[in-house]
Amino acid sequence: MLDREKENHLIDKLLINDNKAYDRLVRDYSSKMYAIARRLLRNESDAEECLQKSFIQVFKKIERFRRDSSLDTWLHRITVNYALMMLRAQKKQQTTSLEGFTQHYNEYGERTTFTNNSGNNLESFFEQQETQMSINEFIRSLPEKYCNVILLRDIQELSTKDTAEILAISEAAVKTQLHRGRLLLKALIEQQAE
Amino acid sequence: MIKESSMLMIKRLMTRYVPGMLTCKEVDSFLFDFHEGQLSFTENLKFKLHISMCQDCKTYLQNYEKTIRLSKEGIKIAEPIEKIPEELLQVILKSRIKK
Repeated sequence: MLDREKENHLIDKLLINDNKAYDRLVRDYSSKMYAIARRLLRNESDAEECLQKSFIQVFKKIERFRRDSSLDTWLHRITVNYALMMLRAQKKQQTTSLEGFTQHYNEYGERTTFTNNSGNNLESFFEQQETQMSINEFIRSLPEKYCNVILLRDIQELSTKDTAEILAISEAAVKTQLHRGRLLLKALIEQQAE
Repeated sequence: MIKESSMLMIKRLMTRYVPGMLTCKEVDSFLFDFHEGQLSFTENLKFKLHISMCQDCKTYLQNYEKTIRLSKEGIKIAEPIEKIPEELLQVILKSRIKK
């Protein structure tokens, strides 16, 4: 990525509609933006569409870019936002619910419902390639709020603060939704392993 | 080797009589912060003490951590291409002219 001075120079050129600057912007940043989109979306063609649409947003909004974050961060956010929008549009109404996967406890506070005690079997199940492939589908079958935080925090490895900002929710909500999403995902995997 | 039923009894007695000994339910409420490394020193000790005595919670914690690891690895299968095809770059650049 460019250093701040070069980045400012590039932005100045973009603002005066310099064709070479646009060419450089697209060539220098598209690989990283594509990688972000590809991790969030199901397949390559969705990621390509996301890349294209994100750049359209960039071209439209560049005049309003206030330089309070780096260009790299700004492009990252636009890509993530567009990918989440695409995911929302694709999401089926029927998603997996937490109901039925809730833990129950007896009067001593001990677990009374434990779906999987076969630690070793689960261990090997976790290592299977098919499990790794289906995890993508499991994540995307989660309710939107859980799916989004898992994609941003666990997959994109954004901070809680950045995730909260992108999703326009509090940091506390990010933590709660992330934990519930992980538990639901865990329960889905365990159910599959049985 | 202590039998599972004896372990359960010891855990139950400790939960009842040892001050600060966590129940499975309390372990669940600490799970997220434990994974994030955000428990205090004392909370961390209590958490680990419970895990060391409770096979169910141990498995529960292991599967929670495996789930997170698997999420990351599962997504990594879809490795991004290193170079974006020239045709796609051209389509993107042309869309600017249309705007």
